[in-house]
Amino acid sequence: MSFEWLNPLLIATALLLAVIGAVRRVKLWRAGQPDQIDLVAGLMAMPGRYLHDLHDIVERDKYMSKTHAATGGGFVLSALLIMLVHLLGIDSQLLAWALLASLTLMFVGALFVFKRRLNPPSRISKGPWMRLPKSLLAFAGGFFVLTLPAAGVLSDGFMAQTSGVLLTLVLTALIIWGMGELFFGMTWGGPMKHAFAGALHLAFHRRQERFGGGRSTGLKPVDLSLATEVGGVLGVAKPTDFKWNQLLGFDACVQCGKCEAVCPAFAAGQPLNPKKLIQDMVVGLAGGSDAKYAGSPYPGKEVGHAQGGPDQIITQGLLDPETLWSCTTCRACVEECPMMIEHVDAIVDMRRFLTMEKGSTPNKGAEVLDNIIATDNPNGYAPASRTHWAADQNLPLMKEVREAEVLFWVSDGAFDMRSQRILRAFVKLLKAAKVDFAVLGDEELDSGDVARRLGDDATFQNLAKRNLAVLSQYKFSTIVTTDPHAFHCLRNEYNDFGSDALEGVEVFHHTTFLNSLVQQGRLQLDPFVGGKVTYHDPCYLGRYNGEYEAPRELLRSMGIEVAEMERSGFRSRCCGGGGGAPVTDIPGERRIADMRMEDANETGAELIAVGCQQCTAMLEGVVEPRPQVKDIAEILVGQLVDPTAKGLAKEVH
Amino acid sequence: MSQFDVLFEPLKINNLTIRNRIVSTAHAEVYATDGGMTTDRYVKYYEEKAQGGCGLCICGGSSVVSIDSPQSWWSSVNLSTDRIIPHFQNLADAVHKHGGKIMIQISHMGRRSRWDGENWPNLMSPSGIREPVHRATCKVIEEEEIWRVVGDFAQAARRAKEGGLDGVELSAVHQHLIDQFWSPRVNKRTDQWGGSFENRMRFGMEVLKAVRAEVGRDFVVGMRITGDEFHPDGLNHENMKEIAAYYNATGELDFFGVVGSGCDTHNTLANVIPNMSYPPEPFLHLAAGIKEVVDVPVIHAQNIKDPNQAKRIIEAGYVDFVGMTRAHIADPHIIAKIKNDQVDQIRQCVGANYCIDRQYQGLDVLCIQNAATSREYMGLPHIIEKTTGPIRKVVVVGGGPGGLESARVAAERGHEVILLERAEELGGQITLASKAPQRDQIAGITRWLAMELERLGVDVRLGIEANEALINELQPDVCVIATGGRPFIDQNSEWGAEEGLVVSSWDILSGKVEPGKNVLIYDTICEFSGLSAADYLSAKGSLVEIVTDDIKPGVGIGGTTFPTYYRSLYEKEVIMTSDFLLEKVYREGDNLVAVLENEYTGQREERVVDQVVVENGTRPNEELYYGLKEASRNKGQINNEALFDIKPQPVLSESGDGMILWRLGDCVSQRNVHAAMYDALRLCKDL
Repeated sequence: MSFEWLNPLLIATALLLAVIGAVRRVKLWRAGQPDQIDLVAGLMAMPGRYLHDLHDIVERDKYMSKTHAATGGGFVLSALLIMLVHLLGIDSQLLAWALLASLTLMFVGALFVFKRRLNPPSRISKGPWMRLPKSLLAFAGGFFVLTLPAAGVLSDGFMAQTSGVLLTLVLTALIIWGMGELFFGMTWGGPMKHAFAGALHLAFHRRQERFGGGRSTGLKPVDLSLATEVGGVLGVAKPTDFKWNQLLGFDACVQCGKCEAVCPAFAAGQPLNPKKLIQDMVVGLAGGSDAKYAGSPYPGKEVGHAQGGPDQIITQGLLDPETLWSCTTCRACVEECPMMIEHVDAIVDMRRFLTMEKGSTPNKGAEVLDNIIATDNPNGYAPASRTHWAADQNLPLMKEVREAEVLFWVSDGAFDMRSQRILRAFVKLLKAAKVDFAVLGDEELDSGDVARRLGDDATFQNLAKRNLAVLSQYKFSTIVTTDPHAFHCLRNEYNDFGSDALEGVEVFHHTTFLNSLVQQGRLQLDPFVGGKVTYHDPCYLGRYNGEYEAPRELLRSMGIEVAEMERSGFRSRCCGGGGGAPVTDIPGERRIADMRMEDANETGAELIAVGCQQCTAMLEGVVEPRPQVKDIAEILVGQLVDPTAKGLAKEVH
Repeated sequence: MSQFDVLFEPLKINNLTIRNRIVSTAHAEVYATDGGMTTDRYVKYYEEKAQGGCGLCICGGSSVVSIDSPQSWWSSVNLSTDRIIPHFQNLADAVHKHGGKIMIQISHMGRRSRWDGENWPNLMSPSGIREPVHRATCKVIEEEEIWRVVGDFAQAARRAKEGGLDGVELSAVHQHLIDQFWSPRVNKRTDQWGGSFENRMRFGMEVLKAVRAEVGRDFVVGMRITGDEFHPDGLNHENMKEIAAYYNATGELDFFGVVGSGCDTHNTLANVIPNMSYPPEPFLHLAAGIKEVVDVPVIHAQNIKDPNQAKRIIEAGYVDFVGMTRAHIADPHIIAKIKNDQVDQIRQCVGANYCIDRQYQGLDVLCIQNAATSREYMGLPHIIEKTTGPIRKVVVVGGGPGGLESARVAAERGHEVILLERAEELGGQITLASKAPQRDQIAGITRWLAMELERLGVDVRLGIEANEALINELQPDVCVIATGGRPFIDQNSEWGAEEGLVVSSWDILSGKVEPGKNVLIYDTICEFSGLSAADYLSAKGSLVEIVTDDIKPGVGIGGTTFPTYYRSLYEKEVIMTSDFLLEKVYREGDNLVAVLENEYTGQREERVVDQVVVENGTRPNEELYYGLKEASRNKGQINNEALFDIKPQPVLSESGDGMILWRLGDCVSQRNVHAAMYDALRLCKDL
């Protein structure tokens, strides 16, 4: 037993190195900006968040979920027991047996990790990650054999007696390798960093509201007073301009590439890969280059040339601005991320710097922002033409009635002839159901959605405050809009500006509202006869607001059995129209809308039901032949039972 | 975002918001029944336009305010009685519920009418000068009568208001009583109603004052005027600007409608409703001139048929509203189609003027190419719904207007449609008609139908001569024979068609036969074909004489189109000879001798020419029909009771062996485009 002092020493050393690594990593994170987080409460809540919120996402991939439970659970348990058995030397056969069991569990899990790495999908990063299953096996295997004597399976002298130095050396090497990867690597940096950073990320997540089944998708407002402060910067220029917990979040990435697999811009061959973006943020926060990155590149861009550091401007060397402008803010990446990383927040934060500090919004982006500032709408229409579409609709104006049950938020579809059909259809339905509603007319301004997604938070805040000031003059209990983008702003992003205009007000998307009218029997519908129908979930209705069911229930009430696309519900693919992407217009190899149309074509549908004017525009922009595209309101109007005036009900031009 | 946004910018007239810049301007519909009431047909006709998105309809061209301005000749609307009020309420409701607005033109037509019917009135005009177009003699209107008519205008306006209409348009155009007072050409009075500018304006001013006093300032009152009478002794454009400014200065008018040209001669009348020989918007400059001197909205119609054209006019600010009246007759859903991004699906007016030429004969206004127009009340649809019954295989033989419309309607119903056409292009006789000078736009009828067939996925097979074997092989459920006719130049063997002494107008227009140098056209039909052949030949340099046994060449052509032919024919020195029969043709050396006989004296004349063209109508191509008839389920018969009632053919719901066989168009008997398309629509809409 000449080496029996060695193992505790090795373990202690590994742990010490892990602590050193942790201190270094924490320091890197702390270079970020402060954020108001209750650290203790976060830590207390962390295990629960791991077991529920995070696990719920991982559970979507049953293989990975089980593998991770075995490997990760086995490891955590093993690590605790190793300290008891091998570091502290507590002599207990029971503990030793428990350790053997947990190591076995970990070993089996690691075998599955190994198996998966034999032929990994393209989304998964390679490089050091290919080593991880072996490290896991080394750790589990090494400690397993080392623990056998403590369990009484082998005599204490077995090592020395039988195999002597060689086995000892092998086992020592295995545990050094294992502990190096799993203890030191966890904090210093390496594949296992995800466990350390991931756990803390869960604890200190910037969107604490996401946990416990909550949904938090509204962007955080920029503190515009920074503009006048010395050294103040609007948005994120350097990695250290991120909040510290955002930096921490980047470190949690496991490079599984689930984000990459769902990113519409990546699929379209635009220079964006959310996984690479997060890894570049890691490079930025720690300093260095992306040379070691072993995943898919940004389409069309070579890996290895990106350089960055905590205090270097991100878009000067680390990231091409085109990458940021390729994002449609569809949140597919965020929805899919098992580590609950917030890619979209980061992208918009960096866009804010480019737009507000640099004025470098590309292509039509700058013009659109100028239009919004000058005319309160993105296309620069005369503000007074906002109600032209309704000249023959006899809509009650809030300015005149002051009070109505429902405020119909018309949104900028008012300026667009195609969208006007949706608006008219919706008005027809409101009237048919005898809903007490009114509109703001010319008092309504653009919701600010496009400005905000393009990074111009100043303009967004300005519009929000002015809209809120108008809204605060009138009495209504409900806002309904046919535009999921305005819906999202009103529902999730207008609450940050100290106005009570929306207090006690429920904001609904029209499909939700119409569905309640139908379920209450206030709208009578004929069954739909016609071909197959599929439904496209708008990102800002689905992922941003969790409304997947109401549109489908509405379709079902007309007897339509939705032929679902493979990517539907929370996995719906973006139409390409969000986040100002159509105006920043970063070239790719294909158009996102074309890909979405292929999704729809695969169902054999003749009609795509949509709930968003932007989606309608994008999908109708796909060359024919293709299925028809109709907003659900338009489909409903076609089926409206109106015994009093035949034909009149269905007239929506 | 649309290129047509400017058309959809609402604009107020007085306090009335018009939802877009498109107006269906006042025209005589000839639909008011029961003594000039706006009954079912009238209401449905305007409701269809409102449903189709039209911003403002001004109905009732030349609606009368007085009992001595006859309404029955043109079944125009009668505002001389309170009986009209509830009818107006129906009309207003029908239009308003679709978001449209509706006004009515009110007028006393003065001398521009007929006295030999209805109440047998003495027609009245400022100086009793005869009106040539209606051959109308008249008396000099007396002071008492003037004041009575002024009062009638006020009462008529009250009735429009009480009926819920949105406004009235005072007609001071087309030589009605108001502009009869204006024009020194017909106003020779020396009292306070004639002579000086103010005196000539007085009647119209008194009418305006009385109307305004009756309806108040908030009710819309506009005036339709001419931009230039185009008569040397009439009102020219500068005069009209002066008049417009004078009335505008009262501040009592809410809009002006402007029409180019006077119309108390046949030649000027043709300008008013420009047919296909005119360029687009030929008189826009006159309306723009009026707009310069007034500060209320100006409406202008006249050959504005296309949304791009309308957009260009509004965008450039020439006028505030464009009238697209015939455009709406051809397609009352034109606005909806613009809005729905279906501009290619608009059935565009081709300027055939079938509508207005019927109106001048006192016949109901119909569209040459849209049989549903004004037949909405009978249940003829503009938008054809898909069938809920069995999907049938329909084979249409013949790609003329009847066949094309059959195929279109059947395809809209959702059936599987095959169309066989012998020629290499679609259109049938329309294609021939379009070959003549100034008549090319008639091909628009074919163009739209062909585009619709393509959109609807009809299997169009060109260059295929159908025969019984082919039809039987195709095994249709329904076969529509629309094989048209062929020139009937062998009616009289003395003409020598068999010997090749005469050719047909088709041979000429199709280019099959080279034009002769010295040509005699013998035209028994006196419609478009004969004059088209004459115009075509003279344009190619032939010396042409057109001879008819009828009253005059082209007598069957309506009042807005024969003048444009005459302008062209006289200019090219075509000789027009009436009252002679073609007795025989014989060859003499290199020449042909045509022997003509005077219908009334029997006196003979000869013409030595090198080409004789005979236009004697068509005989039906009916061989295929008779070949298929026996084996067909219905023996080729169409149930007329159902057909005339716009009901489904009973055979469609009966079972039996063999295909259903129908024939329509000129392969039955020679009629016209409308007749063929009407039958096609009413037969196939229930397929």
